[in-house]
Amino acid sequence: MPREIHPGIHWIQEFGPDRPGIAKSLVDRGAHWYRPGREIHVPQNAFLFTGERTLLFDTLSPAATDRILADLERVLDGRALDYLALSHPDVPHAGNTFRILERHPGAKLVAPSFGRTHELYHLEDAHKVGPGDSLDLGGKRLHFHDAAFLDAAMSMWMTEETSGMLLPVDWMGLPLMDGEGLLFADEFRSPVDEDRYAEFHGRVMFWMRYVDVARTQKEIDLVLETYRPRMVASAHGPVIRADVPRYFEMMKEVVERVATGGRTGVL
Amino acid sequence: MSEDRGTVTALGADPEVALTRDVSWIAENYPLGGGRNVHVSVFLIRAEDQNILIDSGSFYHRESLVRRISRATAGEGIHSLVLSHSDYPHSGNIPAFRRRWGDFEIVASSGEPEIQGLPYARRSRIGGSLEVAGREIDFLDPPLADRSHTSWIYDRASRVLFVADGFGYHHADDEIGLTSRQLPNGFRSEEIYTFHRDTLIWLRYADPAVLMGVLREMFAERDVSWVAPIHGNPIAAEHLDDYLERLEEGVRRIVREQAI
Repeated sequence: MPREIHPGIHWIQEFGPDRPGIAKSLVDRGAHWYRPGREIHVPQNAFLFTGERTLLFDTLSPAATDRILADLERVLDGRALDYLALSHPDVPHAGNTFRILERHPGAKLVAPSFGRTHELYHLEDAHKVGPGDSLDLGGKRLHFHDAAFLDAAMSMWMTEETSGMLLPVDWMGLPLMDGEGLLFADEFRSPVDEDRYAEFHGRVMFWMRYVDVARTQKEIDLVLETYRPRMVASAHGPVIRADVPRYFEMMKEVVERVATGGRTGVL
Repeated sequence: MSEDRGTVTALGADPEVALTRDVSWIAENYPLGGGRNVHVSVFLIRAEDQNILIDSGSFYHRESLVRRISRATAGEGIHSLVLSHSDYPHSGNIPAFRRRWGDFEIVASSGEPEIQGLPYARRSRIGGSLEVAGREIDFLDPPLADRSHTSWIYDRASRVLFVADGFGYHHADDEIGLTSRQLPNGFRSEEIYTFHRDTLIWLRYADPAVLMGVLREMFAERDVSWVAPIHGNPIAAEHLDDYLERLEEGVRRIVREQAI
């Protein structure tokens, strides 16, 4: 069941399968927030924006086709989907694109403008957006940006004006225990801290082990200063609705941990 | 030694290049405009009596790949597919190839293949090894990659290292399908730089000394006959140091030019 996280913004989540391999590594290293025996999941999130027009940001993975189609129908409640925006053409983020467009043939596909290989992703006919581009849904205004921390080159971040929401896609994700689906970060019983974030980023942004720590931390400060987000909605973590700068400080610690401690695994 | 010379068996639109006695490069080209291109290739290992494909290529080249793999395998097709990662230009032909050649084995390094759309894949572990169609394959942690589940694939028998998105090159029109032994003037630094700048965006944060140290250590520890990139021209062992020097120059330039 989707959760409305701000008037007209709905969070749709694929909780993902249990990851015993991650649980084992957490036990082995004594991760303080993990309770042995609990399931571990790495979620995929999609966000539906409903103004006078509607936009879905990302599609969940092919393992959740039924979920995304059903949840879309539930929230749209007979309305049309006007836009389907892809943060980047990765399977877990874009794997249901065709199925959604089949169900909503009037939706306009929106994709990052970066790069020259859109044909290799079936995105040559998509409406391409990049830094400086905006989309007014009527009551919701979206802005598109270069992704600062990413995996695929053809990526974008998005912000939404009325909520002050930053959608940093693969950045600021973390593993969840069972029962933690669709919770705001401030609703967790176990701590949402740099250790949880490091577990995720040491897998997804494994390249942080090769970075200049000070330079990367400076970029985090710059992201905060540039967007001044009031909410953060990652594709793989809990939505943050309060005290955003504190989480950015955690992310600076994460860079240092991955750079010095190395990769934590794979996703 | 002639078998290791990188013989072009069909120059022109359909170059097929033998890198070693049993490993060949099926080079596909994608034009970027402005006289620059990028390869979106696959590699074929002819094992004892089975054929292993490294990556499946892009759906953009599907017809050509089917035709050329059929020709290269005398109509047998493939028995195993080893995926470096699930990005579409690497994995875009799996259903089509399976329809044509049956439910061949797929080996993929994802932590959770279902999420990557590969519920039927045999999982490889980065840092581990597997026997695939009788070949010992090592799955290495790739210093030059973007997706979490990417692995570099080392075929012990041929000593070819398949490096997915690393070691790419924005080649010129007359460099399509040429290995480092065939490039008339070798690699140009500019095209190594632009490829990595445009493909591995995180390099803007890199500490070049750390990154290049890890890369050089990998090659010092492992006897490599060829470095086989999906998006570049294969690099023979004797040209690797030159490429690495140019790569380091490129990474330093990316860091310098993208000040934060």
